[in-house]
Amino acid sequence: MQAPAVAPEPAHTDNQAFVVHDGKESWVDAEAAARSGYTIIDFSDDWTPFIFAEQSGPDGIVMHNRYRRVFLGLANDTLDEDGEPLPAGEKNYLELYGIPPSFGVLRARFLANEQQTCHATINQEKLEEVETIAYVAPEKMKSEAERTARLHRELEDARKKNSAATLAELAQKETSFALKVKAYERRVAEKAAMAEVEKRLACEGVFKHGGKHATGVYDDAMRLAVRRFQQKNMIYEANYLRSKTMDALALPPLANDYQAFMRVLRERVVSAAGVVEDGSVESKAGAPTYTGKSGKPVALRNLVDELTKSAAEQLGLSTQEGALAFFKHHPAADFRRLRAAVKLPTLPEYYAPDMDLSIVIDRGDVWYDLPWDASGVRHPQPRKHYPSFHLYLKYNNQRILLARWRTTVGGWRAEQATDGYEYFRYKGSDVGPRVIRNIVAGPVWIAPESTPIRSLLKMKDVAGSWQRVVNYDELGPGYLSAYGLVAGYFVQPGKNGKADWDNGIRAHGSSDYLSIYSSEGYSHGCHRLPNHLAIRLYSFILHHRPMRILGDQGMGFARQFLASDDVFEIRLPSRGYSYQLEPPLPVEVLEGDIKGTLKTPVLTYVPKPGIKYPGPPPAVRNSDEGRAGAGAKTEGEE
Amino acid sequence: MRTPVQSAISKRWLLRTSRLALATAALLFAVSMTAWAAGKQGKDAAAKSSDEAGKTADGEMPPAKTDTVHVTIQTVPPRKAQVKWGKKNIGPIPAPRALVLERPRDSGPLDLTIHASGFLPVHTRAYTFTDSRVAVKLTPPAEKNTLFGYREEPAPPPNPDAGAPTTVPEPPRP
Repeated sequence: MQAPAVAPEPAHTDNQAFVVHDGKESWVDAEAAARSGYTIIDFSDDWTPFIFAEQSGPDGIVMHNRYRRVFLGLANDTLDEDGEPLPAGEKNYLELYGIPPSFGVLRARFLANEQQTCHATINQEKLEEVETIAYVAPEKMKSEAERTARLHRELEDARKKNSAATLAELAQKETSFALKVKAYERRVAEKAAMAEVEKRLACEGVFKHGGKHATGVYDDAMRLAVRRFQQKNMIYEANYLRSKTMDALALPPLANDYQAFMRVLRERVVSAAGVVEDGSVESKAGAPTYTGKSGKPVALRNLVDELTKSAAEQLGLSTQEGALAFFKHHPAADFRRLRAAVKLPTLPEYYAPDMDLSIVIDRGDVWYDLPWDASGVRHPQPRKHYPSFHLYLKYNNQRILLARWRTTVGGWRAEQATDGYEYFRYKGSDVGPRVIRNIVAGPVWIAPESTPIRSLLKMKDVAGSWQRVVNYDELGPGYLSAYGLVAGYFVQPGKNGKADWDNGIRAHGSSDYLSIYSSEGYSHGCHRLPNHLAIRLYSFILHHRPMRILGDQGMGFARQFLASDDVFEIRLPSRGYSYQLEPPLPVEVLEGDIKGTLKTPVLTYVPKPGIKYPGPPPAVRNSDEGRAGAGAKTEGEE
Repeated sequence: MRTPVQSAISKRWLLRTSRLALATAALLFAVSMTAWAAGKQGKDAAAKSSDEAGKTADGEMPPAKTDTVHVTIQTVPPRKAQVKWGKKNIGPIPAPRALVLERPRDSGPLDLTIHASGFLPVHTRAYTFTDSRVAVKLTPPAEKNTLFGYREEPAPPPNPDAGAPTTVPEPPRP
């Protein structure tokens, strides 16, 4: 295979892509490069994953995706989640929720952090000395300080009595004090580290303007700053200073920027190469194998990492310094349209335009019992085996597991009944064979009437007025939507000319990490995946299965509801942007292991403990969207 | 800037669209009033009439290749109303005519509040992806029990001591 003709620097056009030879960039015709076996990686600021890309119909007419503009605005820090202009200087930090920053945003971050000097004032040693910082509620700060002071006095008295020069020596001499010394030293180290964390967060500019923070206190301003820092660095640790957050805080800003750069590059490479294998199927024994054409076992590769690494190396971007030099070399305007051509490692032999893919959901350990007793006391329902999502490929008379991710199944959820009161209802996940016929990008969740009213409202700054509005974050389209950024709709195929049976179950993206990774996390029946994995999954499926672009599914839905003598109106102009798989993708949902006493789910409403109701529970609603669906969050969920 | 351009004040625009607006308003009014008259029987019926009103009212026109879109807002039943966007007064709905707003295309949604005398305030949303119509159903306070989300407070529990004095009488003096 011949390398494409190389054009001299610096002039380049939209049709060109850069290649790197001996550390020098040069420009090639992108189409010619692709024909020569190069993969074209899009570095442009108007990149979206495939599901939000501009698509054309068979007649060549562009089929606009409503959410594309918002996705790009969010990635470029120019729009908020409603598609309204972002205030100057504001940042979105939505990588954790499936919207990676654009390279233009990363470029600005790199260049600013290279210049900033406040990081030099931070004592790295103090940050590195602790693995985590224990959370002390603001109202307990005083008693905690007194407790530490008491402990210090006790240890000092003991040190003097035992003629020890230091507390460490005391712990050695008198082992009964060892634990107390350790606890005291830990608290002191945490307090010192907390001061450095505050400096670091201020240096990062993640304290909200106007937020009042009291030094040394883990107050709301601190919590929000930690959350923004976590979002910026794609860390999910629920606003606490746990190990991953502390690791990132202990790294220089440019080192974190480089990690972000590699994550962004990874999504671009995955999108360009159309791969999904991310090592999630590997176990302690290593990668699983399949039998290749040669008859020999072949280990399943982690293509996501392998291809990203290869691209970074070829483009001179495999170090922080390389990435910084790249951003210095390319002005911001270059990222309007910038593409790179790389020779990626050959894909495995099972790759083809039409792959025999299927999905299996294992529900894991399932409890149908009520999780509380008549007096409202909760009873634990432990699970050893959590629900998991499996993507399989049938190839060469074998089933190859390409990816395996944690997911959710349904459980007990709050639901609003026709009498206006909330009850609990078991919202299970269907078992048995299904198919995915439609994949919807930027899906909209039509909240069923059983959705608790409180979850349908939120506070929002509307043209300078802080007021209640319909919570469109939950409805979508958007990264916070109940269906996330993309959803596959599970249906039972209709027979004899009948329509498909849709019980409201989807496998969809979600920003609700707690429901996916917490031991007590459940959905309303759907199978949730982090948004970035759902995007990869469905982009991969659409790349490797015959499909038809249906485009925007306009509907003009409206529904009113009452809240405190104000009427709120939900208006949804579209269901989302639809792709249809032809043939549909097979899905099998395994029953899992039923725990507890009840072996079948309760089908009626169950009154919430401690709530006074006007009468017996009404009959459950059974609308299409209400049977399972995504649903609102229950109390305690973020 | 977020300030919407209120083209209802543009006579030129009104002249240009008056025929279409009047014809649409008449059709919507007829459809909505039919549902309105027939749909007072309960919450489900009320919700359905609202849905139907939305479905017919929000039917989007084919996208035009202009930099702006027009959002037509009207009330059902047609009553004069004030439209607010946050603290800002956008202007009146001159019922039975509609209020027409001109906004930059794809400039994000508008969260509006409709205040009509004798009716509950309505919070609604208009989109700027393409030209659209928003028909807002108005509900008088006396009929709020027809809306989804209305709930009757539970009756107070029967008092087992009904009729007993609220204070313990002093024992008779010896």
